Amino acid sequence: MLLEARQVSKSFGAFKALDGADLTVAEGEIVGLIGPNGAGKSTFFNCLVGDIPPSSGQVRFLGREVTRASAEAHARLGIGRTFQVPATFEDMTVLENVMVGAFLRHPRRADAREAARAVVERMGLGDQAQLRARSLGTPGRKRLEIARVVAAEPKLLLLDEALAGLNPAEIVRAIELVRQIHASGITIVIVEHIMEVILSLAERVVVFNHGRIIAAGTPRAVVDDPAVIEAYLGRSLTRQRG
Amino acid sequence: MSLTLVQVIVSGLLVGAVYALFSSGLSLVWGMMNVINFAHGDFVMLGMYTAFVAMVWLHGGPLLFGPAAAVLLFLLGVIVYYGLVRQVMRGPMLAQILSTFGLALVIRYAAFWVFSANFVTLPEGALGGTVNLAGIFLGLPQLISGVVALVLTAGMYLLLSHTAIGSRLLAVAEDRNAAMLMGIRPDRMQALAWGLASAAAGIAGALMAAIYPISPTIGETLAITAFVVVTFGGFGSVPGALVAGLVIGVVQGLSAFWFGPIYRDVAVYVLFVLMLWVRPQGLMGRP
Amino acid sequence: MTVEALPRAGRRRAGWGVLAATAALLLYPWVFTGDFMERLGALVLLSAIAASAWNILGGFAGQISVGHAVFYGIGAYMPLLVYQLWQLPPIVGIPFAIAISLVVAIAIGFPTFRLLGHYFSMATIAVAELIRIVVSNWDFVGAAIGLMGPAVSRTVLDFSFKSSVPYYYLFLTVLALVLAVTWHLQRSRTGYYLRAIKAGERAARSLGVPVRRYKLYALLLSAAFTSVAGSLYALMIGFIDPDSGFGILVSVDMIIIAALGGAGTLFGPLLGAIILVPLREFTNAEFGGGGSGLTYILFGGIIMAISRFEPGGLMEIWNRIAGSRLGPRQRRHRSANRAA
Repeated sequence: MLLEARQVSKSFGAFKALDGADLTVAEGEIVGLIGPNGAGKSTFFNCLVGDIPPSSGQVRFLGREVTRASAEAHARLGIGRTFQVPATFEDMTVLENVMVGAFLRHPRRADAREAARAVVERMGLGDQAQLRARSLGTPGRKRLEIARVVAAEPKLLLLDEALAGLNPAEIVRAIELVRQIHASGITIVIVEHIMEVILSLAERVVVFNHGRIIAAGTPRAVVDDPAVIEAYLGRSLTRQRG
Repeated sequence: MSLTLVQVIVSGLLVGAVYALFSSGLSLVWGMMNVINFAHGDFVMLGMYTAFVAMVWLHGGPLLFGPAAAVLLFLLGVIVYYGLVRQVMRGPMLAQILSTFGLALVIRYAAFWVFSANFVTLPEGALGGTVNLAGIFLGLPQLISGVVALVLTAGMYLLLSHTAIGSRLLAVAEDRNAAMLMGIRPDRMQALAWGLASAAAGIAGALMAAIYPISPTIGETLAITAFVVVTFGGFGSVPGALVAGLVIGVVQGLSAFWFGPIYRDVAVYVLFVLMLWVRPQGLMGRP
Repeated sequence: MTVEALPRAGRRRAGWGVLAATAALLLYPWVFTGDFMERLGALVLLSAIAASAWNILGGFAGQISVGHAVFYGIGAYMPLLVYQLWQLPPIVGIPFAIAISLVVAIAIGFPTFRLLGHYFSMATIAVAELIRIVVSNWDFVGAAIGLMGPAVSRTVLDFSFKSSVPYYYLFLTVLALVLAVTWHLQRSRTGYYLRAIKAGERAARSLGVPVRRYKLYALLLSAAFTSVAGSLYALMIGFIDPDSGFGILVSVDMIIIAALGGAGTLFGPLLGAIILVPLREFTNAEFGGGGSGLTYILFGGIIMAISRFEPGGLMEIWNRIAGSRLGPRQRRHRSANRAA
């Protein structure tokens, strides 16, 4: 079991954003987290990556307790994440960005540069290696962010709405990229809005609503689940379907 | 408790109220935009010189310089926002901090150049006199400054919490994007906040001019005092700034009384450093 | 922007440029003789050292200290203090100054580096002012009058020279050392991590960068070098008082020189010093007492302009001009990228 989250809850003052979420992720899976806005999936994500400490519950990674571990510790243990709004190092070049990730595993500059170059090539950024991150467009930045965290050699990669704001052609390319990363042995948990992405990528889907997990299973099964339809479309429609 | 001690404490509270006035503006701006105005102390200094100019060069009365300082500094604040802060806010931290720091230098040394380095004070005339309150003697200007400052700070709090425009300001502070969706122009609100904060600083300066010697370099100490008050009270919190201001005023007064006049400022700095170590989120603010 | 980022032709050109500049610096006192020019040269180098030291923390790691004078002042006071108290050669005080500076650095940085950047900046002014006031009123260290060093060298260790030329070469050596250390840092993991911290702390953390620890490294290194700069000042001028050691203008000078030349670049501070120090000396001399007022109005304006229009300083402007002369291969990439 790569990742185990047990009864994770988070309250902000009186507001309970997340209520007893459970999740297990086995090595080699691609798991999708979906749900309407404010459903708690982002809060859950933030608890998993070490951005916010849960109010209660436990998160274990490879058997180790990481519930309250810092973001740096997460990275060192092998949990990588991307950001909803790409947080690339604007004034550094593409290669330098990726090197920062590579330095986690390769303290010496020459090794880090070599490892980074390999990742840059694999991610299709080879031509832009010497350009500053700020000169890339949004799809380029998202790709760079992924390349950078892949260079840190994570075992588990958590993608936060990595495909938002891309046009259909870019989405196809991005899905291909995620598949490629998965094929190289990295387990993936992806938070996403876009149904098409989840259906084509995820082997298993977990649905959030009102801070709780309301459904889990294969994408097909989940899409037909009345509770899920209700969550996205409202009660009246479910009654109509009968 | 000896009468002198009570006098020191009350004096401290009165000065503290003035600190609260100019710090509450800084707190608002900081809470709203996450930008620190390193020139804030120099805005207060400008308020002091406005009072001086109004009284000595233009022979105006005390009722003139408060509003004059308020208007002038409000305009300055708005100009600074549109001309400098708005662009710099989106940029790197270096640019943000340097911009208001550079502004502070320009204001300070312009004042230095115009008014020279000597201390000046307002003539006793209209504002002299002491008041005897149950055995403690307080200067009349001190008393008036303190009370006016208290009233204005309370007014600022009420403005923010009970008026339409106040809630718009707070909405922008809370969540810019949501505020935009509600039809509020964050830009305008932020400019307004800067203007208000600067005006508060200006009036505070005018009030302080009645009790302190004025010099171009006083802005530096006042800036640090404002930082201490805002950090102590929690950024974004006007009530916090009020309580903190009063506390700092008393601490200063007591330090000067027990250890000597040099220790006024030293006490504030030491308190600041201690606070950073122990409780950076202050008394009443969010961390 | 590291050397890696330059195309090969640019790298070669940069190499020749550095060589030419080094030659110019070495030969300066032979070309520009006379007390005034020699002293000016020494002061330029001294300011370059201090600004380069500030640059390590402010330019590379992005942590803006506006009270760096605290380290400079400690560095200036200790040597003269050991001379005053025990008649020892001033250089004996230098290691002590560095040690004290490091302790003060930790006291400031440790609590504030886990908070927003503003707190660190404010803490630096507060501590600098605090120490300035304490020193002004403490007879042991000369109070407001200050301390003096040896008027004439008793032995060569006193470093009290009549001419500015020996100081010039001493400062040049120290500057070379600081730049060499910075250059090495730039190329190491530490350098990349510091730049990442400056560019985006949250992202850096998510990649495993121990942010607080690296900020402290940068601060300690910066504080140590700034302290040395202060000590060198004391050696040359032979006098220190609270304002010339701990005053805010000392901090301002470091910042503006680094920022104008290019904070975060290797040679930016030196470039800034070459431009601003003569300017400052000139306006101070021309306009007398009120002159310092004018100088700092100008400096304040420059700082505002840099922050508003070009935070990267002159080096950034230069890079842009140099970049516009890219080879055809790079230009094709640029336009291909824009179309994407």
